[in-house]
Amino acid sequence: MTPFRTSYWHIEPVWVFYLLAAVAVVVFLFGLFAHVSVWVRGIRRQTLPFSWRGISNLFLDGFLGRRIFKGDIAAGTMHLLILWGFLGLFVGTVLISVDYWVYHFLKGAFYIWYSAGLEILGLMLTAGLIWSLIRRYLQRVPRLERRFEDLAVVVFLLLVVLSGFAVEGLRLAAQRQEWARWSFVGHWLSLLWVHPQGALAAYPYLWWVHAFLSLGLIAFIPYCKLFHILAAPTSIYLENQPPQAIPVETRSPDDEVFSYRDMIFFDACTRCGRCVEVCPSTGAGEPFSPRDFIVWARENLLRKYHPLNYFTWLTRWANHRHTSEQGFDPQKIWHCTTCRACLDVCPVYVATQDAIRQARSKIIEEGIQVPSLLTQTLKNLYKYDNPWEATKKKRAQWSQDLEIPDFSETEEAEGLCYFVGCTTSMDIRAQKLARSFAWILKHVQIPFGTLGKREPCCGDIARRAGEDGLFEKQMEDCVELFDRYRIREVVTSSPHCFNTLQNEYPAFQALKPPEEQANFQVRHYTQLLRELVKVGSLWFENPLHVTVTYHDPCYLGRYNQVFDAPREVITAIPGVTLVEMAHNRANSLCCGGGGDRVWQENLDADVKMAEIRIREAEATGAEILITACPLCLIMLEDARKTTSLEHTLQVMDLNEFVQMALSLEHIPGEQSVRRR
Amino acid sequence: MDEILVLAEHRQGELRDITFEMLFAANTLGKENGLATAGLLLGHETSGLAGKLKGACDRVLVIEDPELAHYNADQYLMALETAVKDRKPLLTLIGHTAMGMDLAPAMAARLCLPLVTDCVELSLEEGRLGVLRQIYGGKINAQLVMKPSDHYLISLRTGAFDAEVEQGKSGDVETIPAPAWTNLRGRQFAGADILVSIGRGIGKPENIPLAQKFADAIGATLSCSRPVADEEWLPKSRQVGTSGKTVRPKVYIALGISGAYQHQAGMKNADTIIAVNKDPMAPIFAIAHYGIVEDLLQVLPVLTEHLATK
Amino acid sequence: MNIVVCVKQVPEVTDAELEINREGTEILKEDLEFDINEWDNYAVEEAVLIKEAHGGKVTVVTLGDEDCEDVLRTALAMGADEAIRIDEQGFEFSDAAGIAQGLYHAVRDVPFDLLLTGAQGSDDGWAQVGLTLAELLGISYASLVVGVEIGEGTITVHRELESNTQEKVEMPLPAALTIQTGINNPRYVSIMGIQKVRRIEIKETGSKELGLSEAEIGSQGSSVASQKLSLPPVGEGAEILTGSLDEICEKTAQIIRDKGGVM
Repeated sequence: MTPFRTSYWHIEPVWVFYLLAAVAVVVFLFGLFAHVSVWVRGIRRQTLPFSWRGISNLFLDGFLGRRIFKGDIAAGTMHLLILWGFLGLFVGTVLISVDYWVYHFLKGAFYIWYSAGLEILGLMLTAGLIWSLIRRYLQRVPRLERRFEDLAVVVFLLLVVLSGFAVEGLRLAAQRQEWARWSFVGHWLSLLWVHPQGALAAYPYLWWVHAFLSLGLIAFIPYCKLFHILAAPTSIYLENQPPQAIPVETRSPDDEVFSYRDMIFFDACTRCGRCVEVCPSTGAGEPFSPRDFIVWARENLLRKYHPLNYFTWLTRWANHRHTSEQGFDPQKIWHCTTCRACLDVCPVYVATQDAIRQARSKIIEEGIQVPSLLTQTLKNLYKYDNPWEATKKKRAQWSQDLEIPDFSETEEAEGLCYFVGCTTSMDIRAQKLARSFAWILKHVQIPFGTLGKREPCCGDIARRAGEDGLFEKQMEDCVELFDRYRIREVVTSSPHCFNTLQNEYPAFQALKPPEEQANFQVRHYTQLLRELVKVGSLWFENPLHVTVTYHDPCYLGRYNQVFDAPREVITAIPGVTLVEMAHNRANSLCCGGGGDRVWQENLDADVKMAEIRIREAEATGAEILITACPLCLIMLEDARKTTSLEHTLQVMDLNEFVQMALSLEHIPGEQSVRRR
Repeated sequence: MDEILVLAEHRQGELRDITFEMLFAANTLGKENGLATAGLLLGHETSGLAGKLKGACDRVLVIEDPELAHYNADQYLMALETAVKDRKPLLTLIGHTAMGMDLAPAMAARLCLPLVTDCVELSLEEGRLGVLRQIYGGKINAQLVMKPSDHYLISLRTGAFDAEVEQGKSGDVETIPAPAWTNLRGRQFAGADILVSIGRGIGKPENIPLAQKFADAIGATLSCSRPVADEEWLPKSRQVGTSGKTVRPKVYIALGISGAYQHQAGMKNADTIIAVNKDPMAPIFAIAHYGIVEDLLQVLPVLTEHLATK
Repeated sequence: MNIVVCVKQVPEVTDAELEINREGTEILKEDLEFDINEWDNYAVEEAVLIKEAHGGKVTVVTLGDEDCEDVLRTALAMGADEAIRIDEQGFEFSDAAGIAQGLYHAVRDVPFDLLLTGAQGSDDGWAQVGLTLAELLGISYASLVVGVEIGEGTITVHRELESNTQEKVEMPLPAALTIQTGINNPRYVSIMGIQKVRRIEIKETGSKELGLSEAEIGSQGSSVASQKLSLPPVGEGAEILTGSLDEICEKTAQIIRDKGGVM
């Protein structure tokens, strides 16, 4: 006899099943509709361009779980077992329908393969689910939460697959088909039933239980974190769609601050907690975590835009305990350093730092809960174009005795425009790095100038705070100034300025007619120094015997992938030993100064993040901690004092280090770096 | 017309320094221009205070009434009006204090007097009053000459004159009958609180007891600013006001604060800034009036001890 | 609860190096930035907070040239409902009493329960206009207010006194309060916020419309005959206390006592 598939064997009435299935689909669709009706409220409604990168990401991150494996092979394997098991069984079930309704092909050898395959998939799913329970409840992996929802989802899935095996076992026990041994799990289970009649009697009941559970699972998906089955692939596909610029004047007061892209990101979150592990704020013991923010934002949006607001009881109930215990205070979004570490580890590319910025823009617009020092800072930015002091005059003071051409006093800029930046211009400690950089440029005889006291703020601080109106104003000022003095080549000291000019301006510039768009190129000074080393104009005569470590600034490293340039400059100096900290490159730990945290008052008694970082630097045994960002420099310099490492560790900007290496006089024997 | 009237300021049975500072100014001006000085004491059961005033002015005027037991603008204004109408002084001096700031403008408006507030120097030349004021937060000096008048009202900045007034005089004590308290507008004194606020300068919660002892020594309740409450170093109930900010304190003690720009906002208005920081190069020392180059954890206990043993 | 708030635009001088014109009558304002007087900012915020809690309308009034509309826009963005600008023509060289006269004539016909002003201006620092206005209006007042509790037809306020003390006073409405800094946390006014209120019309008036004569305001109405400005000698920074820890603390304790830092 040819093996074949029996459908609805001894099941009556079949129409009840279809009715139940219809109900499940309706409930599912309604849940989906609820999510979509939130998404359509997002402020950005651009069309979705097709993207090959999106497709390839879908395959690599979705189907192969690339980002889940990253840093946690156990989690990756577990998830793949569940994903492939679930997907395979889903496809298997679809095939049954095709077989039943369209074309009967589940027969013969193919059916044997099919049966055996499904058994393997079922086992994979079971193993994955049990493993997930072990990880969460026995191993108690720290990043995992133990909400009711987390247990319910796994148990639900487990019940579906186990009841499936049980039904199969009963059926095989009753049918006793010769090809049953290929359905080896069911076959093995069927051997437990000695009496075919008993199995036949029990079979329909268990079939209905399994059917009910399976349909229930489908209905349940949009109401729990299983919704990531749909949202996660979507967000993975959307990852490389750049956020669109929405100028302030085109916004209306009722606009939602989040884009549909953000909202899908939120829905894709399964609270896996990788972001919590890497968040420097959480790590420093502060009452903030990216996950809490995402969950808060998601629940808020659902509550706000759900088509049947009262219908959210399911979500609300599932999260009730957690929410009531540690509800997220919106005020905590000011803790985010926008270091982007969370995005780097997120399996579904949730860009928390962008969402935080947008949430901040709402608070800024309402104005009530803006931290008071930030209020002061933004007012200074508006009036004096810098966050530090209520004057424009001091901006060029660092260079008073250096005879640097002021492009704003010429007709046309000749050479490189050094965009010093607010912090580097105004902060006494950071000014030294500007002086070093100017010294290096003179040393290699590169013509350059600055915009003197007319140099505006690039807008980064306003942008991070969500004060988009101010950001746009400052951007226009900047672009206008570059244009007026025909500045084509810009180099910045701060990764923050670099990132803003490089990555934030273009989206806004693209909205303007081509002839009005900005036309300049920007580099961070580390990139310039590396180029100078490469072409041979920057070279070091004398060795400097010192062990150093390098701190990757977030806005240089994670934001712009500039990891090698500073390292290549450091290692170009003979004698220097570069050792890496426990967290380096994309893994780097934030100094705590980003995201406008330097300008917030509840943070200045607490240099914990920078202290954690400086301890890491100390642990490497390095004598000098080098960084390439004025904010990192200030924060780490402070931490060095508060941790009493003044005598064991120096903190230097790369410019200062390079200047030191270039200024060495050749002394045979030892070189002490502390002879400054 | 030939008298300078000085409104004595007192609280909790003590004459405040500003009273003697005003008498110092009045006596100096009086000596140069042949004017007598009269201390005006408004209050209830003030005989002790009158005794302390006597030596420093030519006359002590007293309006005694239970209504004047606590400072309250309604009654004080009426009493002042009574005294001024009785004495017709050329000059009435009031402290530019929480009391004087509450009193002088209304009195000037009520009696149509020329008023100059917050003066740091006074002079009389040919019957014309000249005063020096500091404006734009003390960044500019303004020398004013007033139009002729037969009665000027002046409020003096605290600390602008010496409180160590010469005690050579023996003023008679004269009582002026209290006015009938009619047409009061219904403002009433309803109680007082004492607060001292600590900010983030305290560093970490383990240091709170040190600050508590310090607050005890100053005789105040320890309260805190928002950041400290946010960090839950002190309960939220200890937070002052909405912002938790007591701006324009008399004395601001900056404990371990380097004084980078972000720290300065809350303290700029303080009359006296004392900075404690172990880094002698800390920018705070540029804006502070007094500096201590020490670890605050060492300073606080010793300082508290010294404040406790008067 | 309808509230009138009197506000003023002032130059920001905190970190500025001030210069004085040749005649010594005014500071040079070309390089200065202007903003709402800090105390007034707290007053506007307090008014909006009270409005948000008790309903009513907030009207802001200023006296100044056209540029001063910026402070009215700021106040509107913070949540004020109406704005009046009294043109400064005729008010030049007014003393505080003259300014109060102008404001008095502008607000006496506006129905209000509460009139708020900043406790003082950061420019001239008269600390006078608010209470003069209260007296002209014949209403109760309190100065240096750091806390407000609204009752039934009455208001209880906390006044800030010296040495970090406060007193509570109660008075009937309508009343005038001069607001001390620190009473609240003035909200941030974003560029988006300003854009939202750009269409609200600002009522304009002037000394003539208000029926004020030249004798009441301006230099004629002022009790000041002349004013000569000069730069004070520069301070020398902190006096570093030296000696043993014990000696230093003893000196410090003495300073704290002398400067009124101890109850």
